Amino acid sequence: MSGCNCENNDKLSYEQIIATTDGIIERVGTSPEVVIPLLQAIQDEFSYLASEAIERIYEKTEIDRAQLISVSTFYSQFRHIPYGQHLIKVCAGTACHVKGANNVYDAFTRELKIEGDSITTEDQLFSIEKVACLGCCTLAPVVQIDEKIYGHVLPGKVNEVIATFLDEQETNKEKENKAGNYSIAGEVRLGMGSCCQASGSSDIYLELKKKSDELGISIDIKSVGCVGVCNQVPLIDVVLQDGSVKRYPNVKASEIKEILHHHFKSGSLLKRIKNSIINRVDTYHTDTTWDNVVWKPEHERVELIDSFLSEQKHISTEGYGYLAPLDLDEYIANKGFESLKKVIASYSADEVLSNILDSGIRGRGGGGFPTGEKMKIVASSDQSEKYVICNGDEGDPGAFMDRMILESYPFRVIEGMLIEAYAVGATKGLFYIRAEYPLAVQRIRKALDLCRERNLIGERILGGEYSFDISIFEGAGAFVCGEETALIASIEGDRGFPKQKPPFPAVEGLNAMPTLVNNVETLSQIPFIIRNGGDKYAEIGTENSKGTKVFALAGKIKNGGLIEVPMGISLNQIVEEIGGGVEGGEKLKAVQVGGPSGGCIPAHLCDVHVDFDSFNQMGAMMGSGGLVVLSESDCMVDVARYFLSFTCEESCGKCTFCRVGIRRMLDILDNICQGKAKLEDIDTLEELANNVKISSLCGLGKTAPNPVLTTLKYFRHEYEEHVNGVCKTGKCKDLINYVVNDACIGCTKCAKACPVDAIQYEPYEKHSIQLNDCVKCGLCVDVCEFDAIEKRAVKELVKE
Amino acid sequence: MQIEINNIQVKIEDGETIIEACRRIGLDIPSLCWSKNAVHKSSCMVCAVRNLTNGQIIPSCTTLPTEGMHIDTESDEVKGVRKMSLDLLLSDHRADCEAPCSLVCPEGLDVEAMLNSYDKDNLEDALGLIKHAFQLPVLACDTCKAPCEKACRRRNVDTAVSIRQIIKEITEMFDASEVKEVENAVIEKKMFQSKLGRFTDGEKQRLKETVSSKSSCLHCACDGRSGCSLRQYAGDYQIKRPRYNMGSAMPVMTKENIKGQLWFEQAKCIRCGLCVYNSNNGFTFKDRGFGMEVILPEENKSNVPEGIESLCPTGALYLNVD
Repeated sequence: MSGCNCENNDKLSYEQIIATTDGIIERVGTSPEVVIPLLQAIQDEFSYLASEAIERIYEKTEIDRAQLISVSTFYSQFRHIPYGQHLIKVCAGTACHVKGANNVYDAFTRELKIEGDSITTEDQLFSIEKVACLGCCTLAPVVQIDEKIYGHVLPGKVNEVIATFLDEQETNKEKENKAGNYSIAGEVRLGMGSCCQASGSSDIYLELKKKSDELGISIDIKSVGCVGVCNQVPLIDVVLQDGSVKRYPNVKASEIKEILHHHFKSGSLLKRIKNSIINRVDTYHTDTTWDNVVWKPEHERVELIDSFLSEQKHISTEGYGYLAPLDLDEYIANKGFESLKKVIASYSADEVLSNILDSGIRGRGGGGFPTGEKMKIVASSDQSEKYVICNGDEGDPGAFMDRMILESYPFRVIEGMLIEAYAVGATKGLFYIRAEYPLAVQRIRKALDLCRERNLIGERILGGEYSFDISIFEGAGAFVCGEETALIASIEGDRGFPKQKPPFPAVEGLNAMPTLVNNVETLSQIPFIIRNGGDKYAEIGTENSKGTKVFALAGKIKNGGLIEVPMGISLNQIVEEIGGGVEGGEKLKAVQVGGPSGGCIPAHLCDVHVDFDSFNQMGAMMGSGGLVVLSESDCMVDVARYFLSFTCEESCGKCTFCRVGIRRMLDILDNICQGKAKLEDIDTLEELANNVKISSLCGLGKTAPNPVLTTLKYFRHEYEEHVNGVCKTGKCKDLINYVVNDACIGCTKCAKACPVDAIQYEPYEKHSIQLNDCVKCGLCVDVCEFDAIEKRAVKELVKE
Repeated sequence: MQIEINNIQVKIEDGETIIEACRRIGLDIPSLCWSKNAVHKSSCMVCAVRNLTNGQIIPSCTTLPTEGMHIDTESDEVKGVRKMSLDLLLSDHRADCEAPCSLVCPEGLDVEAMLNSYDKDNLEDALGLIKHAFQLPVLACDTCKAPCEKACRRRNVDTAVSIRQIIKEITEMFDASEVKEVENAVIEKKMFQSKLGRFTDGEKQRLKETVSSKSSCLHCACDGRSGCSLRQYAGDYQIKRPRYNMGSAMPVMTKENIKGQLWFEQAKCIRCGLCVYNSNNGFTFKDRGFGMEVILPEENKSNVPEGIESLCPTGALYLNVD
C-alpha cells in the first residue's frame, strides 16, 4: 500500500478525480479480468475506493456493477470509506494472539478514544484495523503504523508507540549520503528482510553509513536477505579483509561506532589518532565499558545462533546471511542459474521431469501432492497455452516463510519456475503474491527486470529455443485464494470462490488452460534438484517426504525464527535444539503445526518426525509450515477458537458447511469460553466439526475443523473445565476476575496504570479492583512489582 | 459409461451428472442450489452422496460420473450430511413459514390474510375470510382467549396487533350475509415450520419505524412458501425445530419490490447464487463468509430476467399477485 493521500482528497475536484481515474484505466485496461489491479490502483491513488472513480469505471470499462461489488467486497484489502491519515494495523496472527494482540488492539482504541463501530479517530488522524498476519511473528505482538513496524508492543506502551510515531513524522530524518574516497576496508552485512526492518535494521543501516563516514572508514554495507535468526536481529556480520566473519546479534545503533572502530582502521592517519582518542574517552565516560559489545567473547555472542543453525539444512535458503537478494552476479557466482543453463543446454523436457519425479518432492503449500505428478499432467496436455503460477498467497497467521524466500532469494524462485515451465512446456508464468507483502512484490519485480536484461527470461532464453515470460499479480487479501482454484478465479477477475475438483487446474486452470500451480517454497527447491540430481535430493528426508522444509518457528519459544530442516527431524529437536526450549523456562504444552488448517500436537507426542503423513495421522497437517509453540500458560480452547474465528472470517461463503457450519462451531466455542456452554455442547461441536470436515468442497473447509478436532482429541479435559467455569490459564477473560491479594503494599502503581480507573486506592492500604469497571486488560499485573494481583476463576470468587 | 448406484448398475447418458442419473432411475435426491439447465455452482450440499470408491462425500449435482464409480445415496451417513446441511441453512433462515397467528387460531381463520386485506382496505375480502371461518362472524372472537394476539410477532416489537378488535370493527361495519365467503390459502400446520425467533433491539427499532400498516401487522407469513424446497426437504428429513443457535446477520422482514410483481426478501435467501449466476449484471454477492449476502443494486433492477423467481429454492424471490 502506498502512502495515504487522503489529506488531499478534499482538495481534489470532481474533474481531477475523473482525469486521474481515466489515466489509471488507460494504464491498467478495461476488460473484466483487470478488475482487481484496477481497484488496487484506484485505492493507491485515493486511499479508498472513491465513488466517483467507481462510477467512472462503470462508464469506461467492461466491468459492470455486479462484478465490481462482488469483487470489491470480497477482498479485505479494499476500503469503501475514507480512512484516517495514518493506518494502524494490529497484527492478529497466531504468535501475536498468544502474546496478547487483543489487549493491544483494545489499548489502542482506548488510547485513541475510538468507540463503537467506528475505526477512525474523530480528528481523522488514525484509523485502526486488525490484520491477519504481518509476518513478523518473532517480534510479537506487532503493530504497523503506515509503513513502520513496531515489535513487542505491550498494551501499556501504546501511548509511547503513538508518540514515537508522531515524533518521527515531525522530524523526518535526513539520510546522509557522503561518498568516501578511501579504499574499501571490508564489508558489513546486514539482514534487510521485513522482520529485520521491523526490528530496526533500517536504523542500523543509516547508522552504519553515518558512522563509517564519520570515522572515515570505507566499508561496503551490504543488505542481505533473511538469516532466519529473527530473534537475534538486527544482526550484522562484519567481514574482514581476510574473509573471516565476526557476527554481532541484537546490535544497537549505539554500538555501531564501537564495532566499526574495533575492526577497521580509518583511511587517514590523523583521523585514526583522533578516533582512537575520542573512542577511549567515550568508553571511559559511559557505563558501557564492562558490557561492551566487542569485549564480549565471541562464543557468548553467537553460541545461541550456532545452535540455532546447527540442525538446519539449507536448500531453499542456501546462501542465507551472505546472498544479497537482488545481486544477480552474486547469485550466479554461487551456482545460481546453473541448473537452468544445464536444462536449456542439454536436457529434454522429459529428463527434467524424471529428475523431479525421482526427487520425490511434494508440494509445500499444504496438501503435499507430488510435484512431479502434477507436472506430468500439465506436460501431457497438448493445449497451445499452458501456465505456471507461483502461489505466494501465504495467508496463514503465523507463517512467513514464503515471504522470506521471495524477499531473500527471488532469483532462486524464478529459476525454479523457469525449469518447471521448461519441463511442462508452459508459455507464461505468473507470481501471485499477497498484498500484505509489498517488499516481496518489489523484490520479485526488480529481479524479473534484471533477469530480463540478461535474457534469463523472455524470448529465446539464453540463446536456446525456449521462450517464457513472467508477470506479477498482487492478491487483494483473501486467505482462501491460497487454494489454487480460488487463486485462479481471482486472477480471472472474480471473487475467490474455489471450484470443484476435478477438473484439476493441471488439466483446466487459468483461462481453461492447463495450469501448474506451485508454492514458493516448492519452486525454490527445484534448482537444487536439477543441479544435484533427483536421486541426491531423495537421500534427504524420510520414506515419503523428501528434502527439507522451511518452518516459521514462533510463539513461546526462546529463539524463534525461520528455519529450514531436513524432513524427518523431530518436533522436540526443533523446539529444544534449534529453538532453545520454551520461553521463560515454562513447560511445553503443545506445538501448533500448520496454522488454521493444522492441529495441535501435544508435548508428549512431540517426538513425532516431521513428515507429511505422520502429521496427517495425528490430525494435524504440514500446512504451509507455521510452528507455534504453546506453553502451559496457553489455553487450548482459546487457541482453537482463535483459529476458527480466523477461518470463519476467511471462508468464501459459497458452501453451507463452511459458511454456516464453521459459524455455528464458533458460536459453541464462544459459549464454552464464556462458561455458558453445557457438557453436551462439546459433543455437538465435535459432530459439527466432523461433518464440516467431510462435507466441505475445498481445502479451507475440509481442514478448518482440524484445530478443534485435535484439541478435542488431546485436550478434551480443558473443554470440560471451561464448561464447569474454569480456565486454568486465565486466558478466557469471561471466566476470570483480577483480584488484589495480601501482598499489596499500597504503592498505587496499578491504579495509575489502569486505563479505566477501576482500581480504588488509598496509599499504603491494600487496593481493590472494581469488577464492574475492570476490562481485564492485565496492565495492572504487568506493572505490579509484588505479584499482588492475580487472576481468579469467577466461579471461585462467587463461592467465597 | 456404467456406474453403480446403491448397488444397481446404471448406464450413464452423455453429459449426465450423478443427480440426473439418480433422478432418472427414480431415486429421490433433494437439491437446492441446482436447477437443470441453469448456470450454477454447487454449494448447498443437500444433494450429498458418497463416492464409495474413495469414500468422499460429494455434491451429486455437479459431479460427473467416471467409469465404474460406486455411489451411495441411501446410507444413514449420507442422509445425516443432508439433514445437517438443512439444519445449518435453517439456523440462518430467519423467517416464518406460516404466520403464527394463523397457525394458532382455533377456528382456522387465516388471520394474516385477513389483516392483509384489511391493510389494503379490501374490507370485503377481509370479511369474506372471517365468514369462511366463523359461523357467526359478529360473535366471532367474543369468547376466545385470543392465542393469535399472544403469538403475534408484533408483540415482540411493541404491542400485539389488536386482532379481535379489528375483526369486531369489520364485522360491525358490514353485514356479513352480504359478502361472499373467501376461501383461505391452505395453512399447512403439519408441514415444517421455520420460526423467526426473537428480534434484536436494533431490529425492533427498525420495524417500529418502518412497518406502518393500518393494522400494524408485520405480515410474517412467507409469500413464497408454496414453492419453497427448503421447507419441503426440512419436512422430508423430519426436522422439527432449530438445532443450532439462531444467529443471523440477515435483515429480517425487508420486502423489496424488484419490478412488477417480483419481490425480494433477503432474509430468506440461502445464498445458493442461482439468481446471481443467471442474471447479467443483476443480482450480486456482497461480502464473504457467514456475512455474505445476495443483493440487488437499485441500478440493476431492470436487468433482472423474467421468471428468475422460478430458480429460487426458497421464498426469497417470489411473485406477489395482489
